[in-house]
Amino acid sequence: MIDRTKELIKVTDLRKSFGKLEVLRGISQNIFVGDVVSIIGPSGSGKSTFLRCLNLLEVPDSGSIVFDGQEITGRKNARSIDATRQKIGMVFQHFNVFPHLKVIDNITLAPMLEKHVDRAAAEEQAAELLRRVGLLDKRNEYPTRLSGGQKQRLAIVRALAMEPEVILFDEPTSALDPEMVKEVLDVISDLARSGMTILIVTHEMGFAKRVSDTVLFIDEGQILESGTPEEVFEEPKTERCRAFLNQVLY
Amino acid sequence: MGELIPAIWQKYGYVYIQGAWGTVYIALLTVFFGTILGTLLSFLRLSRVRPLQWIVQVYIWILRGTPTLLQIYFFYFYLPRYLPFEMSERACIITALVVNASAYVEEVIRAGIQAVDRGQTEAARSLGMTARHTMTRIVLPQAFKNILPALGNEFIVMIKQASLASIFFIVELTSAFKTVQSATFITIPALIISGAIYLALTTVLSALMKLVEKRLQSND
Repeated sequence: MIDRTKELIKVTDLRKSFGKLEVLRGISQNIFVGDVVSIIGPSGSGKSTFLRCLNLLEVPDSGSIVFDGQEITGRKNARSIDATRQKIGMVFQHFNVFPHLKVIDNITLAPMLEKHVDRAAAEEQAAELLRRVGLLDKRNEYPTRLSGGQKQRLAIVRALAMEPEVILFDEPTSALDPEMVKEVLDVISDLARSGMTILIVTHEMGFAKRVSDTVLFIDEGQILESGTPEEVFEEPKTERCRAFLNQVLY
Repeated sequence: MGELIPAIWQKYGYVYIQGAWGTVYIALLTVFFGTILGTLLSFLRLSRVRPLQWIVQVYIWILRGTPTLLQIYFFYFYLPRYLPFEMSERACIITALVVNASAYVEEVIRAGIQAVDRGQTEAARSLGMTARHTMTRIVLPQAFKNILPALGNEFIVMIKQASLASIFFIVELTSAFKTVQSATFITIPALIISGAIYLALTTVLSALMKLVEKRLQSND
């Protein structure tokens, strides 16, 4: 059973600058197990940086992130970051599948290396995951032979193979041809329904409306709106959110 | 003039063959140790330890910014003086060539590693892979394909640079030409034979490198 009252990620006053540019200006947000959180906002608003801070691909300047009851920010916690990252999957805009490894090896490499799963078990799990996303027949291909949508589905199951407690999606459909967006969103929807905790930075407003429990509107490094899809999309409280939605919704 | 070539070859062929072996010997050692040293240097340069980066940068700055011949003179005169053991002239020259080659190899390898998309590292680290595993299993295998063609070019340069050893009367292909020329006073045909052997060596090397590259590319 999923305990939806359990706090999985607690972010407090996160700040991050790139040189003089202040990208995150004090972000605080709690994320519960099973939450599906969509993060929307104009480009350059800090959405992706926020997401990338959660697994420390970007190191925040200040503020704290507590994951599963353990603080991961701060110098003394840097040592255990690899173990923490195993529990936080990430899917990128540009897929970042490993081109020199076959589809199946893309999935089995990290579990075998870092969790010492034996090859047979890792391959069995990978085959099951590939079946789930309709890529089982591609298991022995190299990723260069896959379409964008297929690469992104591979990237998703590669993350799932580590059995993470949450998956971060950083604009997973922005680099896709339009006809491939749906196949990827379908996989993410299935994942959401299965109870996976998800944070997704996206420009797919219809999708955010449909699958999210919570929508965050970020602008200029701050969360300006936080609420259910109805609250944020139907009755935005801030002028900036209204203006943004007017720009992106036809 | 052309008819002199077979005549010279008949009489002095052994000089050229000795010279070719000398060149191959020097070049092989330069390639082998230059590549190892260059690889180690590139790891130091890419390490997060600032002082190490600086040392490598100065090393490369000097070796790429001064003539190879000058560097050979330096090792030729100074190495025997400060080493506790005997070192042959040829060994001094090879050491100079190795050190020189390592600077160029470092640049090739570092560039090859840095050319691997950052997203690859991010993806591996986001899966919880350690920095070491990310380097050995994700970055290096991909960097290798970037590095190989450029490294092949460096190998060819190393074969040709071995000719500098002729100034110190070390047996190799260019000194073979000098030997034959001073014995016969026939210049151009003697030169052509050396040139042809150099071409044969570099052509074989190029073909070998192409073969290895093809092998590697067949799986993507």
